[in-house]
Amino acid sequence: MTLPDVLRTVRWMVRDTLRQSIATKLFWVMLAVTVTATLFCLSVRVYGDDAPARLDYEVPAVLPEEEVLRIGMEQMKKDGELPATAPVKGTPEFDQLWERAWEKGSAKAKADGVRVMSGRVSFGFGAASAPMGRNRTDSVRYVQLLLAGFVGDTIGVLLALLWTAGFLPTFLEPQSATVLLAKPAPRWAILLGKYLGVVLFVAFQAGAFVGLTWLALGLSTGVWNAEYWLAVPLLVINFAVFYSVSTFLAVWTRSTVASAFGVLLFWALCWAVNYTHHRLIAFPPPGLADGSSLFLDIGYWILPKPLDLGGIFYDAMRAEGFVGQVPELKGVQDQGKFFPWLSVLADGLFAIATLGFAAYEFEQTDY
Amino acid sequence: MSAAAEFVQVEKTYKSGPFARSGVVAVKGVSLTVPTGSVFGLLGPNRAGKTTLVKLLLALARPTAGTVTRLGRPARDRATLARVGYMHENHAFPRYLSAREVLHFYGGLAGVPGDKLKARAAELLERVGLTDRGQEPITRFSKGMVQRLGLAQALMNDPDLLILDEPTEGLDLNGRQLLRDVVGAHKKVGKTVILVSHVLPEVQELCDQLAVVVAGSVVHRGSMADLLADRKPLEHALTGLYQKGAAG
Repeated sequence: MTLPDVLRTVRWMVRDTLRQSIATKLFWVMLAVTVTATLFCLSVRVYGDDAPARLDYEVPAVLPEEEVLRIGMEQMKKDGELPATAPVKGTPEFDQLWERAWEKGSAKAKADGVRVMSGRVSFGFGAASAPMGRNRTDSVRYVQLLLAGFVGDTIGVLLALLWTAGFLPTFLEPQSATVLLAKPAPRWAILLGKYLGVVLFVAFQAGAFVGLTWLALGLSTGVWNAEYWLAVPLLVINFAVFYSVSTFLAVWTRSTVASAFGVLLFWALCWAVNYTHHRLIAFPPPGLADGSSLFLDIGYWILPKPLDLGGIFYDAMRAEGFVGQVPELKGVQDQGKFFPWLSVLADGLFAIATLGFAAYEFEQTDY
Repeated sequence: MSAAAEFVQVEKTYKSGPFARSGVVAVKGVSLTVPTGSVFGLLGPNRAGKTTLVKLLLALARPTAGTVTRLGRPARDRATLARVGYMHENHAFPRYLSAREVLHFYGGLAGVPGDKLKARAAELLERVGLTDRGQEPITRFSKGMVQRLGLAQALMNDPDLLILDEPTEGLDLNGRQLLRDVVGAHKKVGKTVILVSHVLPEVQELCDQLAVVVAGSVVHRGSMADLLADRKPLEHALTGLYQKGAAG
């Protein structure tokens, strides 16, 4: 079998998987989640200063929001701008008063040499609002961190693993597979094509999710963070690594249930090993045996590292200025023992090895 | 005459688990040659091992012992599968594809060049009487229509060796006539057909060579004329062989 033959097999299997995803409505369900997140992003408004030219998180003089408003109110009182009766919260009059007080308070604080960096974000076209971050850019970064780090990287990836877990077992049932496997295409190429098809499908969904929410947030807030796009490769890598395990389980058991729940359990195990490894480095308990530490080190480097991927995205988003890092990961970083690219490389090797096992198992399976 | 398929002392045992020492013996010491250009019938009662022999020939399963040769090459050499067409009685095609897409997909994987897929699919849809249903999703197809589509996909690569496993299942009279025409046309140009079937009139009409498999062993091999030499109906001849095989 020549390389063009292999490529042709992979191409056919990728195309088939994309068709399968559309036919199972999964494509549209995931797109609906993206549309919902996009509408949410369109409803976001941020108030506050623009981002400084260079982020300077060492500056401690961050005036709290309440203080800015108090100063603003005092200034309005002096200028005789305060209404005789206080407007009811939620009315347009209240919002106008709030914005004016914010404007006056910020101006006064700046005139006094205090750097006002706090921002405010509202959701649902103003239906709810909350103080957030240190400025407009950071407020948007925070929303993006939540979208990519929590909605995408945790809920999204786990749901994608759960939803796509049935693709391979259905395909591998003898009634579906025998005619296909009687073609000259090598089994490993068929499996690789199916795997890549699912990963490409998820990459498309991740791209749509990040792209549309980035566009919506940019349009609604005027803040365009290019770093947010890094979420696409990170989401895809995270999914691809764990989907290799799902693939192996599917080939081994031909069961959707085993494939779905097996990979979720495996994800939890990997997260626990990743977290415990960092905790023991950041906060080593007294009397920890060398053997235990070595054992955990081996487990950490062999298994996928979902926490590390989250940490890489956190750093890329320069999130340390507005939300705390996981203390264990920060401790490892502070000690210079966090190697992000080695971590990603080890994850990639894990996925390749797991796919290799899956391909070997598939080659050995009698139909 | 060269062999389109050859089994030499082939055994196949399916293990009941990854750590099981014993298992189910499906094929026991089968030696069999399918001559090129023949229409070869593979007959036997249920669970005799016929489908296992087909799977071994198609590299869907590996023999526990012995050697299997397909079109002059070891069965594990997948390249020769590009010259094989296979139709299976209960194959579940992807339900999200139309008939035309099924043919493009399976034809593409069988090695049919991309620029020829469209024309070949159209030609075969017409041949199996599904031209006007080509764009429809196959979820709307009856079993007979799916069987016709299965026959078409087996022919996409214009195979030198056509393997039909219970092909008449679900086919109406027109469908059976279609099958006879396809097998006849194959034979006419010197290609080989292996027919696994329970439908004796078809076997009798189409096959010139046959093997009878009972309990994993070949109990008779030879020409159809040999089997019917004593002028008994085929059904009676087979019943006798089945009983003999089961007793032995």
